[in-house]
Amino acid sequence: MVWPAVSLVLLLSVFPLVFSLWVLFVEYDFSVSNDHPWVGLDNFNDNLIDPVWWNSVKVTAILALSAVAVEFILGLLLALAMLRPFRGRRILMVLVVIPLFISPVVVGGFWDLFLRQPIGPANQIATWVLPGGPVTTNFTEDGLWPYISVVMADAWQWTPFMFVVMLAGLSAIPNDVYEAAEIDGAKPRQSFFFVTLPLLLPIMLVAITFRLIDAVKLFDIIYTLTRGGPGTQTYTTSYYLYYQGFERFHLGQGTAGAWMFMIVLSVISFWLVRRLLKPVEA
Amino acid sequence: MPDDDVLSFGEHGSEDAFDRRELLKKSGRLAAAGAVAGPLLMSAGEALAAGSAAVTDPIAATAVAQAKQYKGITLTTIRETGPQAADDKLFGGPRWKALTGINVETIEGAMNEVYTKQVAEHVAKSGKIDVVEALGGWIPDFADRGVIVPIDSYIAKYKAQATIKDIHPAYRSLAQYKGKTYGFFDDGDAWMLYYRKDVFANGKLRAAYRAKYGKSLQVPRTWDEMTQVSQFITDQMAPKIYGQGHARALGNPGNYFYFMQAFRSFGGQFFNPTTMAATINGPAGVKAMNVILKELKASPPGSEKFDFLTMWTTWLQGKTAMLYTWPPTGRISENYAQRDKAFSFLPKSKIVGKVGYAVVPGKNGWFNAVVRCVSADSENQDAAYLFTQWDTSPSVSLQRVMLPYSLRDPYRISHFKSKKYGSLWPAAPQYLKGLNNAANTGVVELVMTGAADYSTALDRAMTAMYSGKDVQGTLDDLAKEWDAITKRTGVDTARASYANFLKLTGSTKRTTAEAKGIDVKI
Amino acid sequence: MRRRPNQRGSTGVVRGSGVASWTRWLIIVAYFTFLILPLYWALVTAFKPQEDLLAQPPVWFPREPTLSHFGSALHRLEGLDGIKNSLIIASSSTIVSVVVGTAAAFSLARFATGGKHLAFWFLSQRLLPPVAIVIPVFLLYSRYSREWLGVQLIDTHVGLILLYTVFSLPWTVWMMYSYFRQMPPELEHAALVDGCSHWQAMWKIAIPLAAPGIVSAAAFAFIFAWTEFLFAFVLTSTNATTLPVMLVGYIGLFQGNLWGETAAMTLISLIPALLLGMLLQRHLVRGLTMGAVQG
Repeated sequence: MVWPAVSLVLLLSVFPLVFSLWVLFVEYDFSVSNDHPWVGLDNFNDNLIDPVWWNSVKVTAILALSAVAVEFILGLLLALAMLRPFRGRRILMVLVVIPLFISPVVVGGFWDLFLRQPIGPANQIATWVLPGGPVTTNFTEDGLWPYISVVMADAWQWTPFMFVVMLAGLSAIPNDVYEAAEIDGAKPRQSFFFVTLPLLLPIMLVAITFRLIDAVKLFDIIYTLTRGGPGTQTYTTSYYLYYQGFERFHLGQGTAGAWMFMIVLSVISFWLVRRLLKPVEA
Repeated sequence: MPDDDVLSFGEHGSEDAFDRRELLKKSGRLAAAGAVAGPLLMSAGEALAAGSAAVTDPIAATAVAQAKQYKGITLTTIRETGPQAADDKLFGGPRWKALTGINVETIEGAMNEVYTKQVAEHVAKSGKIDVVEALGGWIPDFADRGVIVPIDSYIAKYKAQATIKDIHPAYRSLAQYKGKTYGFFDDGDAWMLYYRKDVFANGKLRAAYRAKYGKSLQVPRTWDEMTQVSQFITDQMAPKIYGQGHARALGNPGNYFYFMQAFRSFGGQFFNPTTMAATINGPAGVKAMNVILKELKASPPGSEKFDFLTMWTTWLQGKTAMLYTWPPTGRISENYAQRDKAFSFLPKSKIVGKVGYAVVPGKNGWFNAVVRCVSADSENQDAAYLFTQWDTSPSVSLQRVMLPYSLRDPYRISHFKSKKYGSLWPAAPQYLKGLNNAANTGVVELVMTGAADYSTALDRAMTAMYSGKDVQGTLDDLAKEWDAITKRTGVDTARASYANFLKLTGSTKRTTAEAKGIDVKI
Repeated sequence: MRRRPNQRGSTGVVRGSGVASWTRWLIIVAYFTFLILPLYWALVTAFKPQEDLLAQPPVWFPREPTLSHFGSALHRLEGLDGIKNSLIIASSSTIVSVVVGTAAAFSLARFATGGKHLAFWFLSQRLLPPVAIVIPVFLLYSRYSREWLGVQLIDTHVGLILLYTVFSLPWTVWMMYSYFRQMPPELEHAALVDGCSHWQAMWKIAIPLAAPGIVSAAAFAFIFAWTEFLFAFVLTSTNATTLPVMLVGYIGLFQGNLWGETAAMTLISLIPALLLGMLLQRHLVRGLTMGAVQG
């Protein structure tokens, strides 16, 4: 009964990968040639000599790390805040998880509607909330705002993930542990840092690892919120490869870039995951 | 509606009273158009075209006669969504079907999708598209990769050489590549300077100008004059009227035209023809970019995000005094395009009769091409060819460029001389003459392998400079990006391609039609 | 992390959380404002008449709400086709994924010890940036499937269904695997002793017991297919365009951005999200972390 699954997976995931290995080393580029002669490492080189490639690596790292950090902190705070049951908690729990099931392009779309002048109210709200004159910042263009906007949109969607996982972790800590600490004279704050956090650590690692692996592939939100702009400021590696591969049909270059990205990502992830599966495996 | 009705932008002062709701209703229709679908009422232009006399154009007549044998098949074209698609869906398609019995289906997409879809179809070898829509810059790749087929044999077979002779000389070479003809030129997209005659005639303004500069206020002829006059008008008349206001949003339609025209009028070269090193970051590039940044200062706030539509709306509301851009601007200024439902997304013009035409400052205005080609994967190449021959024939193309909703612009000498067209509005003859002159001295889009890559990179770099990044540094980075693109194509291939480009009319200021002595005098 | 019975929410008092009461409320209010604002704005935009869309200052509550954007999006802009395609593709891939995945998971849980290998295999698929695989899949679907198999998969429902099934299988198998592993095999053994075959044992005993797991695996598979963008964008053009792809196409047209229609379509696309949010409360953690954390 495993065979249908295995053969499907093989056909449609392993095979394209194998095929892409061929594309890696041949010329497959609409603007260069109809044929596919062997070109060795040229496809890889095409990425490495493009300043936009290096910029995209930097952008991806910045955006992914910032987004996961924000999501982690917000998620933890929210989990702590909503730990104790209260009236209406059930409804809020339903509300909280909704962003997880929305298409990321739609999330980008929501934030585009919200932030873009003149259609969105972001400037109006900022003017209300902040002292001083009217706020005319363009939140997807000016200064560091493109990064902040992307992180905000991503956090809007994925903080619930952190929240749910950490809430589960927090709920699972048995009371006796806290009682024991209290008997030993620990104050609430010490209790948090020396009891809660260490017990929560494995869960936090799971959550962060999972999120990080996904966050570096950031594409959809960029596509609808900033289109990689202004200039190439928000070109993540995924967006850059999409642009080269699909808008310009430099398919060899796109494939090579994707493999480089994937290898680096795998190395980092396997390291993280191996660290994880050890303590967590129960 | 009072003449000083203007849109307000952000918080930029509300000294003038105006009916906001009225304006917003009209500008609100910016978002209303959607795909043109369903039967539309016949517009005035269409009625005009339909009622025209029997076809005496042998090019069109031959095409029709020879195409009848293909009755019943379907030809598929591809056009940009909106008025462009309407050209095939409302005029060309039904007309052709009535004449020959061939069905015409039109695929639509946003402009950049038109490129992507056609290439994707070719990679897939699906044969879905019969008539290829090619911007001039795409022809080298489309031809070399076998997306389109040469049509010389068809032209000979159907004796259609005369159709090419009628096309303005500057445009002719754009449908040619490596000695072969790949399609029929179909759109005279030459930039002119449109200016508000009333603003330039404004007594107070003229007096103030003379007081400041000691000479008479004139329509700018050089780039320095352009920035000076724009800034002056803005200083004097903003927020009611700004000196100029162009579309500067990334990719919609983009910025690289502005740079490429000014750059070449300063004598700039894109590449070193021998080494193929990019040279856009030289003094001419910096100069061109600084001109553009100065223009931005004189433009309405938020200009960096203006898309094409916002630019036009601002112009039609009378808020900008000068604009250099594509030819439909002339038609919409006179409310000619807005007669038709397909243009309902554009508000009515408040500047009817107030628009004058001049050559772009620096004399070398931008022009680009659209060419209708035959797809190499098509199963009906002969029929597809005949459709393009008919569609671009002198008589039919004249009707098409006269359609109110047309985004195709006059490109034949017969168009520029047409009395019918000249009767569309009082200044139409000057408009046509201006377009002809623009083609005489214009500089052409970049036509070589990888043109789209170079242009997009330039577009992005420009938006980065709008948001404050330093000019020389950004241009240097851009040159590096261009070099990477060249390297990917292969330096030898790129060199040959660039050499081909330099032979085109309008590739530099020294190869314009006028410089070559092949300009047309009307 | 062993799960204790009755731990969730009953006594719930976790001492030492160190968060004072008013801080808690501040956090909750702030977060939910952040959550609701963009949703509210999209909601309101979908119903605003044209004049209000670009009005300054922004209109928070339209005086004359209208349904015209919905009509325009669904009919004139063929949004209904997008919804239809999405429904077909998402449902089909979900069914296949769940059926195949459950069967595979059952086998693995009962007969094989491939647990660790399974984990790595499926996890590595998670590591795959979609961009890496989209180019070969595009080439495969557009050209080579026709040249080698005689069937062109590009822009077809079948093509996307196959692809989405393959992508959601890891989830499905892994989720069901962890469910089956948790279930004691004694019940099935009893059935076997009574003369049932393995199939019958699975069908009559294991599956009903694992029903909640199946439901949540199906839900995750569905939502993945419903919200996926990149592959749908690249692999469809006219026949099989899905909802997210159509939606994105309303921005950047020559005639201007169709804000109202975009907002309307995003709202429609939210419906499964809302339903799933309510349905999946309990199984969320396990699903989201592929079973690494027990909810």
